[in-house]
Amino acid sequence: MANNHLTSESKQLATWYLTFAAILFGAQLLFGLVAAIQYIVPGFLYGILDFSIARILHINALVVWMVFAMFGSVYWLLPDETGIETIGIKAGKLVYWIFVAAIVVVVLVYLFIQIGPASDATIWFITEGREYIEAPRWADLGIVVVALTFVANLFLTGIKGKQTGIVTVLMADMIAFAGLYLAGMFFTDNISVDQYWWWWVIHLWVEATWEVFVGAIAAYGLITMIGAHRKVVEMWLWIEVAMLFGSGILGLGHHYFWIGTPEYWWEIGALFSALEPLPLVAMFVHVLYDWGKTQGAQDANGDKNSVITNKPAFTWFVLNAFGNFLGAGIWGFFHTLPQVNLYTHGTQFTSAHGHLAFFGAYATILVGVMYLAVQGKNGIKVMKNTKTSIWAVSMISGGVMGMTVSLTIAGYVQVLVSRAQMGATWAGYFDGQNGLWFTQAMDWRLILGIVTFIGFLLLAKDLLTTGKDPVHER
Amino acid sequence: MLNPAIIRPEIALNDFLPIFVSSSLVLVFGGIYVGIYTAVKVKYLKPWVMVIAYAFWTLTSYCLYVMGSLMHVGSFTAKALVVAAIGLFLLPFAVYYMEDNVHKSNEHKT
Repeated sequence: MANNHLTSESKQLATWYLTFAAILFGAQLLFGLVAAIQYIVPGFLYGILDFSIARILHINALVVWMVFAMFGSVYWLLPDETGIETIGIKAGKLVYWIFVAAIVVVVLVYLFIQIGPASDATIWFITEGREYIEAPRWADLGIVVVALTFVANLFLTGIKGKQTGIVTVLMADMIAFAGLYLAGMFFTDNISVDQYWWWWVIHLWVEATWEVFVGAIAAYGLITMIGAHRKVVEMWLWIEVAMLFGSGILGLGHHYFWIGTPEYWWEIGALFSALEPLPLVAMFVHVLYDWGKTQGAQDANGDKNSVITNKPAFTWFVLNAFGNFLGAGIWGFFHTLPQVNLYTHGTQFTSAHGHLAFFGAYATILVGVMYLAVQGKNGIKVMKNTKTSIWAVSMISGGVMGMTVSLTIAGYVQVLVSRAQMGATWAGYFDGQNGLWFTQAMDWRLILGIVTFIGFLLLAKDLLTTGKDPVHER
Repeated sequence: MLNPAIIRPEIALNDFLPIFVSSSLVLVFGGIYVGIYTAVKVKYLKPWVMVIAYAFWTLTSYCLYVMGSLMHVGSFTAKALVVAAIGLFLLPFAVYYMEDNVHKSNEHKT
């Protein structure tokens, strides 16, 4: 093995996944910046990289880097949790390269073939055209093979090794994660039916399986970083699973308000959307409770040192608790009930919610895992914050928060002008977008997007260099 | 026959901002309630501060009421919001009770 601090091949594979995830994270931000510029200067790169393609790449890179980082996180924790090397690691490595190659080919095809006919060949080889999951069908099938191999590795290892609560939850969660992807792989003639299934992938991934995944990773992080009691953490994890699935699955109803599905979805959507923030509030308690109890126990023993063994990772994990609460909770809740969603649906409010929720709920914890991997790879006992790590986390979180506020202001203009005053008409759409508040908000979104990107560059630098920094305890 | 108010509740222009602010405050105040409750329980704050936690839950409920009224929610959604308010009130009790018992039982074992 190249680095003797890595105790297993599974962890080595994890670092590959996490590294490629970080590269895609950068690509996501870069294409987001292009799209943000195009909002202000519509002719920017026209005919070279159209807005439609920049947006596809921005969003798909987001989804894919998170999936890569999630797979990497699982490969990282599996040997620690099960006590054995991951079974099928060679197959895992093979499908990693297949996955990477497929992503590169798909991106190149997006870049080189931006316009064309909507034929069966397009669906198979260029794009399926479904928002967020635009990958062509050949890549879809490849993703299924990759996901099944990953799930098989997880299951075989989980069954043979020690069966902790974290691994058990991950096994159940990842099979749902892989299975739900199938709902986005077929077309129906009726657009309402088509959208009905498509939301299974988008909503049930994000607001059910991904949130449970975050719960499991947070549990692992609290055990490894602050030495929280496993029984307490795992019991909490089960509560969280019950609450997240209990509210998240039928929270799906808030996507069924206006797509032609029966009216009872308004009531189901309203009820479960109102309940959805509860587990997010509870996650907040969880981190406070475990941190407070563990630090308190150490203080009582006369040891005033911090219980945290990886400060940068813990910073990102705490940011996750707040970010999830803010982005998914607050920014989700204030436009989710059908009475107000009638006005907010499809405005920049959705975009504001999307930016802060994806960042707060998922990006934060996955970056935290990257720091855990850096710590493990370099044999660091106590990892400390560096100036670069502090600047990176501040600029990225400040930038994303600023973008969210900007988009919220833009969305508010759309709600008032385009929807409430002008009744969602064609003229109203353009009047809203031409308003001074809207255009200024978009300018600020770009400026804060640049801040976020600079923060990312600092993050990349820190991840690449902090492992050798003598400031850490070894 | 559907209630037309559900299809198009006709929210007044001046009510949009209070709706967004009050619905945001629902979770902000709710989070503060839960945070203070937990901090008191783990002895980071003095017990009397719990009164402030309950005051924040009251503010949460009030914001839910304001939000629901301005949105003209129907009777079903109004009940859902009441359930959410009660759920938020009970949540830290239930979670803390379970966590604390697991913690104690494990501390006794070791």
